[in-house]
Amino acid sequence: MDGYFGSYVVVAVLLAIGVGVFAGGLLANRMLRPHRPTVEKLTTYECGVDPVGEGWAQSQVRYYVFTYLYVVFAVDAVFLFPWATVFAAPGFGTTTLVEMFVFLAFIAIGILYAYRKRVLTWT
Amino acid sequence: MGGGPMIQSIDYWAIAGPLVLALAAGLVLLLDAFVPSRWVSGAVTLAAIVAAGVVIAVQAAQGTTRGTFCIPGSAAGSESCSFVLDRFTLIFAGLTLAAGAVIVLLSMGELASGRIPAGEWYFLLLSTLTGAVLLPASRDLIMLVVSLELVSLPVFALTALRRFDGRASEAALKLFLVSVVSTAIMLFGVSLLYGLTGSVHLDLLAAHLRDGVSQPALMGGDGAGVLAVGVVLVLAGFTFKVAAVPFHFWVGDVYQGAPIPVAALLSVISKAAGFAGVILILTQALPNQSWLWTPIVAIVAALTMTVGNVLALRQRDAVRMLAWSSVAQSGYILAPLAIGSGAAASVTYLVFYAAMNLGAFAVVTRFPGLIESHRGLVWRSPVAALALAFFLICLAGLPPGLAGLFAKVVVFRELVDGGLGWLAVVMAINTVIGLYYYLAWTVRLFAGRPEGAPSVGSRAVVTAIGLTAAVAVAFSLAPQLVLSAVG
Repeated sequence: MDGYFGSYVVVAVLLAIGVGVFAGGLLANRMLRPHRPTVEKLTTYECGVDPVGEGWAQSQVRYYVFTYLYVVFAVDAVFLFPWATVFAAPGFGTTTLVEMFVFLAFIAIGILYAYRKRVLTWT
Repeated sequence: MGGGPMIQSIDYWAIAGPLVLALAAGLVLLLDAFVPSRWVSGAVTLAAIVAAGVVIAVQAAQGTTRGTFCIPGSAAGSESCSFVLDRFTLIFAGLTLAAGAVIVLLSMGELASGRIPAGEWYFLLLSTLTGAVLLPASRDLIMLVVSLELVSLPVFALTALRRFDGRASEAALKLFLVSVVSTAIMLFGVSLLYGLTGSVHLDLLAAHLRDGVSQPALMGGDGAGVLAVGVVLVLAGFTFKVAAVPFHFWVGDVYQGAPIPVAALLSVISKAAGFAGVILILTQALPNQSWLWTPIVAIVAALTMTVGNVLALRQRDAVRMLAWSSVAQSGYILAPLAIGSGAAASVTYLVFYAAMNLGAFAVVTRFPGLIESHRGLVWRSPVAALALAFFLICLAGLPPGLAGLFAKVVVFRELVDGGLGWLAVVMAINTVIGLYYYLAWTVRLFAGRPEGAPSVGSRAVVTAIGLTAAVAVAFSLAPQLVLSAVG
């Protein structure tokens, strides 16, 4: 099993070891500890405080817009970083500089649009 | 990095068509932010489509092949370009823009209620059109995938813009999931093709594959296994987009739930873009591997036309019927590709199909609902009813609908000449099945008394019906318009 598929065997073995350590630890714990449950012991542990409400939590929909904007700028940065390292190098020049600002202008249209449509105000 | 300039020169005249559309999309978005008016947005959109159409027409008249975004090619002195403007590109661009103009007219009817935000609608429409014009010009895998996504992404939002309609949201979600999965599958295939050859340009891919797969170490063999998986995955991704069997399930619900202009867009523009992609990858990147993909394409084509027709037989809703009939038509378009060299016949059929199908959708935009509600339409609205009858007869492929007949003859001839007699027989049987439901609908138009189903839409929709009818009649009287253009 050497060659191309051989390298995957390492991954499989590592996975098996990981599962083994985790399952073995839990199993050892289970066999060594005393087991005397009460109602209090079975409640969900929430930092020592009595649990309140349910597991299903809702988050504000207005955060959604900011998540979106974050994604836009994050993607933006993915293009900006490699560009920033080369645009001053020989062979590149004004064209490279202008091209990036054309790209940024297109994104700016989106921001401008969102601003005009009052998406950015905290409602 | 070697010496010399690192910047590719851009031939702005070559990319003028998609550039006009993209700039207009930005303009429409800004206009909507500052002077919201659905008439202004509509007029700007229509003007942009006409302007891009003029650019395409002038480029076609010049008749030269231009390429831009080029890198040095496989042979000394040659170039491999990411964007190529040739006859294939121009035909698809022209088809897209003509269909786009009709869909803008249909949208004006849809937007007249004022419940759908017009600025967003037109912006998304222009974005889709930009992608659809860019796609046939793309000659590298990355450009192809990006343009295909540019076609698909705005369509989810367009479908969902009827936010007050639960079915539209459902349709949008279905379309989104199907499309995203298909893109993922296709990207996997694309990555295998790239990994195998080390190039993304279609002509370089073909050169690498012709000279023997270049990285035999990858599989310990000649890489044929990886190549087959890659080709099948790419094909599977595209069959989702063109709604071919076995990836056709989404069509019925999505077409019915979407606004009718969007259904028309899906069935013509999005489908044409998908076919352009398939044809480019198969004929430009994998011409020497046709032994691998022709059997797959033949089987998919046979299944697609059969399943589409059988499902269409039992539909009672007009849009749903057109949805399944367009699946069947996809099968006819796919069939000549199974010859390996039949791309021209596919394109010919696609052009005829676009005119007839858009026309049928235009009439259905005006008279939506069940097919039964079209009973006696000819007494209420003779022109629309006659136009619909003509489109349906064209789709069935009977005289006097000569456009459809010529299209079918072209495909049949290609199949018989190419030695795929069995596929021609399957297609003949399917044509007969198709006759049943197209004619049953046509007969209803003339039978009985009108029941007074509402007519929707404005003069724009009537104009769209007139335009498509004129084009279908022109194609029927002078099919050489298309035949010589596709050549």
